[in-house]
Amino acid sequence: MKIIILFFGLLIIVSGANYSVIVSKKLSYLTVSSHEIRDVFLQKRHTIGDQKLIPINLVGQDDARSTFESVVLGMDRNRLNSYWIKQHFAGVNPPVTQPSYESIKSFVQNVDGAIGYIPSKMVDNSVKAVYEF
Amino acid sequence: MIRRVGGLITLAIALHAQPYTLGNGLHIDPMFNIGGYFSSEFQSKNSEESLTFDDVAVMAYGDINPMFSYLAEFEAVGFYHKNLSTGEENGNQKFHAERFYADLWLADAYNFRLGKMLTPIGYWNMEPINVLRDTTSSPLYSMLLFPKFLTGVDLNGYIPNVDNVHYHLFAQNNHDLDEEYINIPNTHFYGFSAEKELTNESSFGGSVGEYITLTNQRTRFIQANTKYDNEQWQMMGEMIFAQNNFADNDHSSTLSGYAQGMYRYTQEHAFIGRYEYYNDHHTNYVDNIAVAGYSYRPWYPVSLKGEYQWHSLRDENTFLFSLSVLF
Repeated sequence: MKIIILFFGLLIIVSGANYSVIVSKKLSYLTVSSHEIRDVFLQKRHTIGDQKLIPINLVGQDDARSTFESVVLGMDRNRLNSYWIKQHFAGVNPPVTQPSYESIKSFVQNVDGAIGYIPSKMVDNSVKAVYEF
Repeated sequence: MIRRVGGLITLAIALHAQPYTLGNGLHIDPMFNIGGYFSSEFQSKNSEESLTFDDVAVMAYGDINPMFSYLAEFEAVGFYHKNLSTGEENGNQKFHAERFYADLWLADAYNFRLGKMLTPIGYWNMEPINVLRDTTSSPLYSMLLFPKFLTGVDLNGYIPNVDNVHYHLFAQNNHDLDEEYINIPNTHFYGFSAEKELTNESSFGGSVGEYITLTNQRTRFIQANTKYDNEQWQMMGEMIFAQNNFADNDHSSTLSGYAQGMYRYTQEHAFIGRYEYYNDHHTNYVDNIAVAGYSYRPWYPVSLKGEYQWHSLRDENTFLFSLSVLF
């Protein structure tokens, strides 16, 4: 029995989500769908529910950003680049960036409508995780 | 005008805060982003060859506040043209207002756009510039059957409580902001369009509308479009049926459409095939067009394209090559 529990414990750890999408604790969301997050980060929509959101991306080519782009946005970097170039013609800018997980977390803590992603192990009671990937 | 534009760009480069990436514009601050594009084109048709430095455009856009944004774009078409067979040269360096509008965002379901804008119909008309297209030419569908621009108001957004359906309800009750620069000068233009996103890769939509030209031709149209686009393949098609009533009470119809497929061999290289149909009963102009093209993008905002068009009207067969860049 102990072996079975240990096996499933390890399985959860191994297959567990590495990153969490976070929002301010003040927001009423319990969860949001990947489609809603995708639309907000692609600047197709600006709200989830009644809350206007400010998507925050991680600067550069970090693993977290690549994982977010492929898993949540459903696009690789090349496809995303071409998407934003087309949006530039349409007069739409990509989300603002922050240089680190810490600054994303701090931004989300301090700005009610901010939404970003950080490693799940950094999530504490100062922010609310609404999606994991 | 060119000096003013050059001065503006120099000032922007001196002031800009973020590093510049080709194709993404200069982001001075959220209120002021600038960009531009150009294209040059070589054409061989009926034993005549020509070279055109075609679209030269500058644009600026930004968010004034979370609810209010703007976009302005000025373009010179046919900037320089040389007939390589006769040696004749000409050009027009006058800049025209291509887009000039403001957006008032109230909610994802209600965004008001006021000014001169691209007519929100289908796919092709929303990305009409050479560098964003995958062929140098545009299908006749996109050039002859509805005004490419709208000077009026467009209420747009996602239809509430309906999954991923984006709509546009647009109206114009005046002349175009720049009548020298529109394919169909008109005084009235009304329409509704909607698009349903089925998955990340696929969508379909359609539109209905009516416009009255300066020559009092009243045209009502119905249009449909569908698209599938993944990492490797893109398939898209659009068609339109238009009923025209002329000032002399004559009436006729026009049917046109295209189906295009693209295979991305790599991120840089792609092969394109397109079939077009155009049938204008009023002028008895009927053409079936097959297009085979190749696209090379060393970087996405730099596009080199070649294509050959076979027309059922034999003297229309054309070879095109173009270079275009988005800044």
